Amino acid sequence: MLAAGRRELKEVIETCDAIEERKFNPFFLDVNLGVETLRQYFPHWEGFKDHCLDAHALNRLSEVVRLQNTQLKFQSTALYAEPEFVARKIERMSEKRLAEVFLQSWHPLTELEQLTQETVSASLDYWNLLLPIQERWKRREYARGKSPESTDSSVLDGLGIHGKEFAEQMTGLWKDLQQLYETEHKPIEYWRFVKGSTHQETVQRAYFVSFLVTYGYARLQTEAEMMSLVPNDQPSNKPTEGGISFPIPIPTPKEN
Amino acid sequence: MEQVESEDTKSFYADKLKRATHLLLFRRGKMPGAKEWELKEKVGKNYKQVLDQLNQILGELDLEVKKITEPATGDMAGEGRVLEAEEARYYVSLKGTLGLKEAKMIGWRIDNLAALGGAIAYLVSKQGKAPREDVEKVLAHKFGRWKATTLADIFLRTGYLEEDDAGVMALGWRTKSEVDLRALMTKMAETKL
Repeated sequence: MLAAGRRELKEVIETCDAIEERKFNPFFLDVNLGVETLRQYFPHWEGFKDHCLDAHALNRLSEVVRLQNTQLKFQSTALYAEPEFVARKIERMSEKRLAEVFLQSWHPLTELEQLTQETVSASLDYWNLLLPIQERWKRREYARGKSPESTDSSVLDGLGIHGKEFAEQMTGLWKDLQQLYETEHKPIEYWRFVKGSTHQETVQRAYFVSFLVTYGYARLQTEAEMMSLVPNDQPSNKPTEGGISFPIPIPTPKEN
Repeated sequence: MEQVESEDTKSFYADKLKRATHLLLFRRGKMPGAKEWELKEKVGKNYKQVLDQLNQILGELDLEVKKITEPATGDMAGEGRVLEAEEARYYVSLKGTLGLKEAKMIGWRIDNLAALGGAIAYLVSKQGKAPREDVEKVLAHKFGRWKATTLADIFLRTGYLEEDDAGVMALGWRTKSEVDLRALMTKMAETKL
């Protein structure tokens, strides 16, 4: 009896917490039923812990009542719109129209940036760490190529680095890496994984891999001059905190 | 006589106007603008009159002085609880609105603006708070999964959105200061697909 009561109270608390975290609508929970459950088990509680659990559940229920009240007030204002309706609008409106709608309600702040002790210190560090110009020019000689130019989304779509196709290719590459790792049971050598049948494919795969590493889908390990990749089973889907930039030059076919 | 009084008033305000302008426009800390106590201390007790005068001058330049009010926690219908005098913050913002070309000129990409508008509208429809994954899902349908994550990070960094330890996103201080939520939701509802 007591065990069942504790389980039910914990379920009530978990549901209330989920509502507070906006995972469910506040009216998802029947508060009367929750109170009834508390009332049913209250006479049986003997220990201090059980009474604390009961008080905690009551506190969570009162929070849900507050959120229900807020929701009712919110629905009576001009700001009210069904989340599904808004999500559908966002999906169907063109990017330009969506931006225009936003601009009509946006009044950006005006401010002037100025030098502070912190910015001066950061700037000094930057200049102190910067290599002499000759050194930097030496490095650039290897990277000399076509100047950057602008492009449009149709070209990017064609290259597979824009829109849904991009996400699909990224996921595909991640799955490839996982399969390879499961087969070999050891970190996958970076260049072996990245190398494609053409130079263009190699660059494209390296580009995708950089996203896999940045967003926690894979880890890049470096040992001496050897680089290897290890897939993560549960990616964070966020840029890794404290991560560092790790440039990897891709040799042109000639240098290969 | 009237002329003399007018000249006196002008010179009385000139110095204070400059000081108030400097306080409001030059960023000193993490947030732009100036707190009410700072204005009281550096401009004087009649800082409200000075700000009124400054507002008139800035109005001709399509700018205005605004006071930040913050809605009570989780209470979107509360329509802005006015902060205690010591907590309130004044800042200068654009009075009118920007066009697409102007927004591009100040460094915004059209798709980023569209995503910001979408994310804010979605959060407002969820009473100002929603799990990050829900916000990213809405953005991902339009902009792709990878970009949605990057955009969410940009909006968090710039103060338009906030995220707590439980991964719940909310409207940030910059949205509360810069965006007319009522106008945004009305325009969203009015737009025909």
